[in-house]
Amino acid sequence: MNEKLRSLFDLTGRVAVITGGAGLLGRKHAEAIAGAGGIPVLVDIPAAEPVAAAAALEKEWETEVAGYEADITRPEQLEALKDELLTRFKRIDILVNNAANNPKMESGGGVSFSRLENFPLEIWNADLQVGLTGAFLCSKIFGAEMARRGSGVILNVASDLALVSPDQRLYREEGLPEDQQPVKPVTYSVVKTGLIGLTRYLATYWAQNGVRVNAISPGGVYASQPDEFVQRLEALIPLSRMADVDEYQGALLFLCSDASSYMTGTNLVIDGGRTCW
Amino acid sequence: MLVNLSASDLFSLKGKTVLLTGASGYLGRTFSRAVLENGARLIALGRSDRLGREVAEWQREFGRDQVTSYQIDMYDIEALGALLDTIVKGESSIDVLINNAHELGPNTGFNVEAGSFENASYDQWERHFLGGVYWPALTAQKLGPKMKAQKAGSIINISTMYALVAPSPALYEGTEMLNPPGYSASKAALLALTRYLASFWGRHGIRANAILPGPFSNVEDKSANSVSEDDPFLERLKSRTCLGRIGRPGELVGCLVYLASDASSYVTGQALSIDGGWTIT
Repeated sequence: MNEKLRSLFDLTGRVAVITGGAGLLGRKHAEAIAGAGGIPVLVDIPAAEPVAAAAALEKEWETEVAGYEADITRPEQLEALKDELLTRFKRIDILVNNAANNPKMESGGGVSFSRLENFPLEIWNADLQVGLTGAFLCSKIFGAEMARRGSGVILNVASDLALVSPDQRLYREEGLPEDQQPVKPVTYSVVKTGLIGLTRYLATYWAQNGVRVNAISPGGVYASQPDEFVQRLEALIPLSRMADVDEYQGALLFLCSDASSYMTGTNLVIDGGRTCW
Repeated sequence: MLVNLSASDLFSLKGKTVLLTGASGYLGRTFSRAVLENGARLIALGRSDRLGREVAEWQREFGRDQVTSYQIDMYDIEALGALLDTIVKGESSIDVLINNAHELGPNTGFNVEAGSFENASYDQWERHFLGGVYWPALTAQKLGPKMKAQKAGSIINISTMYALVAPSPALYEGTEMLNPPGYSASKAALLALTRYLASFWGRHGIRANAILPGPFSNVEDKSANSVSEDDPFLERLKSRTCLGRIGRPGELVGCLVYLASDASSYVTGQALSIDGGWTIT
């Protein structure tokens, strides 16, 4: 590729904070950023072992990868992390709000707490804390630093379920009574839809400060789901397939680099066409 | 570095053949260079005499074999169909189709009183719907069998933010500028066509997406739809966006390369806004 286009997607020297960075997609985001010359900073809860994950990736890729433990629902931890990053790197260029609680899709025997009638308030609160409050706090703390410096990019990872409702028939299990059928929990739709609102809000709020804010809305990724589920889902998608785990890296680089310099407030939907028909 | 994920591979168009309509226009020239710089071979369709001069320049820079061009008046539907048949027959593969041509001048009611909704003629409406809908439909129809046989293809339709929002009369008051209704209507129809193709051809591995440029006024040329740098109209456009400026053609390139390349392999049926935040407020 010609130099001009290489530089279009280039992230050389740019520091990218990725929340939920030690998770499956978080590591893929980090890989894309590292591949374009940027410095990924994996931020995750201690149980996800972000420091070890970063060290392993750094060794594998032979490029700088940072990892930090932090609870993104705790402002004081994020302030401390910001100070640490500014001391170490002098800059924060990119924030990828990727963290979300894994929706619990338990099934079989007993009460299905994913169903709305049973959904515990504590889980509702915890899911919103991580998915929305965490994205708000990270944007507030890291985004404000970008605005102060006059440049930066925030990318919110939403979902195709920010655009359409879950089709609960996808998750059915034969033989279970209606009140025990597993469902996609309500918090997933609420958190992901909320992120789209946050995206548009921040886009105008910081437009004059050189901070662009966009979202991606990925569809489902192949991850050893049961065949029956996969077949049902594929039938809802014009490309007739789920996504491979690395198919979001192009979007990430496009929206985090200067290749998208005139885009802000948008939601790039990467769903194999699921929401177009 | 061991990670071989570099942007160069992910966004590369090397080995791909791209057919682009409206290749010698203000945005078309930038699109042409973008795909050539990224390694694709270009089949350039255009109407004006400028096409030949531009193509000669591109061939000098990127190699003679990298560009084939056809000067054609696309309103001659019979000639267009025959040309597309010839192109399809002569090419071993066509991987990307960029439907970019649209007439932006007095014949389509731009910047003339005859173009207002009250005055718009059948001829203007027909030109809009031919350019906005039928040309993209015909090119896709002609190239479709080849893309199906390849089990791959990316169709990119150039629409406009005015497919989503209406032009505001306040922008035009007291100026010579006029944005005709057929433009918005035909470009909105193009989004429906985009989704239709994505839906019906997804199973064949063919993707269809649209780009919605915001204000990308031509400040470089003197033409029927250009604007001078000091025109107060330009100030109105700038202040209407969130980013406070109009876009430069180069700022559409990232999106075009993303959609044309395998970097967007799971994106179809979408419309990407590149409008400095115009449509989010």
